[in-house]
Amino acid sequence: MSLDTPAVPPATTAPPALSGPELLDSLTAVFRRVLELAEVPADGNFFLLGGDSLVATRVLSAVARTHGVELTFDEFLADPTPAGLAARVTAVAAAR
Amino acid sequence: MSAAAFSPSPALPAPAGAPRSVVVVGAGPAGLTAAVELAERDVRVTVLEARERVGGRTRGIEVAPGRWIDAGAAYLGDRHTELHALLAACDLKTAPTEMTGAARFALGADGGAAATVEGRFPPLNAVALGDLFEQLEELAATVRPDAPWLTPDAERLDALTAADWAERQLPHPDARLFFPLFLGEMMAADPAKVSVLHMAFYLRSGGGLRYLNAFAGGAQQDRVAGGAHRLSERLARRLLAAGGVLRTAEPVLSVEQSDGEVTVRTPEGSYRAEAAVVAVPPLLADAIEYRPGLPVRRAGARTGRGCAVKLHLVFPEPVWRAHGLSGWSVNAAGPLLSTVDDTPPEGSPGVLTGFVTGAEAHRFAALPPAEQRAAAVAQARRLFPLLPEPVAFHVTDWVNEPWSRGCYAALFGPGDWSALGPTLTAPHGRVRFAGTETSTAFFGLLEGAVRSGRRVAAELLGD
Ligand SMILES: Cc1cc2nc3c(=O)[nH]c(=O)nc-3n(C[C@H](O)[C@H](O)[C@H](O)COP(=O)(O)OP(=O)(O)OC[C@H]3O[C@@H](n4cnc5c(N)ncnc54)[C@H](O)[C@@H]3O)c2cc1C
Repeated sequence: MSLDTPAVPPATTAPPALSGPELLDSLTAVFRRVLELAEVPADGNFFLLGGDSLVATRVLSAVARTHGVELTFDEFLADPTPAGLAARVTAVAAAR
Repeated sequence: MSAAAFSPSPALPAPAGAPRSVVVVGAGPAGLTAAVELAERDVRVTVLEARERVGGRTRGIEVAPGRWIDAGAAYLGDRHTELHALLAACDLKTAPTEMTGAARFALGADGGAAATVEGRFPPLNAVALGDLFEQLEELAATVRPDAPWLTPDAERLDALTAADWAERQLPHPDARLFFPLFLGEMMAADPAKVSVLHMAFYLRSGGGLRYLNAFAGGAQQDRVAGGAHRLSERLARRLLAAGGVLRTAEPVLSVEQSDGEVTVRTPEGSYRAEAAVVAVPPLLADAIEYRPGLPVRRAGARTGRGCAVKLHLVFPEPVWRAHGLSGWSVNAAGPLLSTVDDTPPEGSPGVLTGFVTGAEAHRFAALPPAEQRAAAVAQARRLFPLLPEPVAFHVTDWVNEPWSRGCYAALFGPGDWSALGPTLTAPHGRVRFAGTETSTAFFGLLEGAVRSGRRVAAELLGD
């Protein structure tokens, strides 16, 4: 097992630093896509909206690709909503 | 079609132009579904079955008086609408699968220490697994579900094996580790033996990754109460009640057509009818001799056997539950690549089902019985340390079953979809083909089998 190896090749250019509302929109769009839903509220709980752990990993992969932040499954579980995920992404990006 | 439409109702006569007699080859769910629909419309039906029992890739094991588990197919979900309707029409009930508690994962290369994890999520890099699932979902979305051979880029996808694909597309070791386990669980396939087109088609056909993988809300939501084999037993009873004939232990050797008639031969005799339905897996359909010969064969040189051996360890109680474990495990080393709690709905005896899939299934199937048992029990007790010695142990080797030649379903290898796809459901004169592998919806599943049986019956009845 190699939990520490980056899963996605490191980005050659820094991913665009999205500001609050744009980041939230982008994460909401990911939720909509993987859950196949037309609408997802900012505080919509991923698991109550029909998501499961398999689909959750797709969100984490999309976040890593577009925002350059690799979160663990447990970090996602802490607040599995678009708003909660946006806060987490912002915090991790700021800490770097 | 509602359950009512399929229940034994005052027989509507078959329309003019429909054959008055039909021989059905194979008494699995597909053949029996077709046979009952025809017999209940006043067609004279004879079903010829190679085994001494009905049910094909479903089979029940009685683990305690009146308590049954499934040695073959077990699960169904809400989207399996034709199967649900047929079960209801046969007075059979379903029972939800239970999955509460933590899972165990032994994913180290040595198969050593296992980790205990809440839910079913493996302790691997989530981003890497997400990347794998995103790519698989994207592939599945490109497939033409009704005609995979017409998928854009079908030629390239059909030439590549799933192992080639993984080699190119999965940079992360955790994704590479998990991919064969996932494919083994989903479709009992060794990635080196299936085409990318077949893998993508299968995932699409079954309702997508999430649906195929899920218990609650997915394809494993329920079981048939009393065992999935009951469906075929009830259908056989309805066939006889409608005046049909069922002959077991009669393997069909040849199907000949001449002078507007079909003659089907077995070692016991020959049977004539105005039409025939061959409802057996592709490798076995291809082993029958046809005169005149088939313009396109039913299987290709690279059509493979699904590789699954199903094991059952029976204990007085499901002791793992008392320790907060669900019985679910996924393991990098065999023989038990995954386990699941299959305790009957009544709550006992405790049944731990193990799946030995992919390449591991061949290796395990070749071991002497004592070694099979020793290896499976030792591994189960490493995963669930509190297990006593099992009171019973069952091995069902579907890979080498002569009248299944693999399971869950045939594996289409490179080139198969391009060659076999266009004639999958094409009649050969008075001979038609059914079976789960002829259904592009829910291919390989009971739902696909039932749909294929209904399709041929409707074609013959001109509905
Ligand atoms: C271990 C295992 C797990 C599975 N899990 C699931 C599951 O959870 N959910 C699900 O939906 N599906 C599952 N499946 C798949 C399911 O069992 C099949 O999709 C289904 O049984 C296919 O039905 P069929 O009628 O097309 O073929 P079969 O069930 O294979 O029936 C074909 C019949 O034809 C007979 N036959 C073959 N050749 C001849 C011949 N020459 N002459 C006369 N008779 C012949 C055979 O003996 C057999 O009875 C599983 C299968 C296995 C083995």
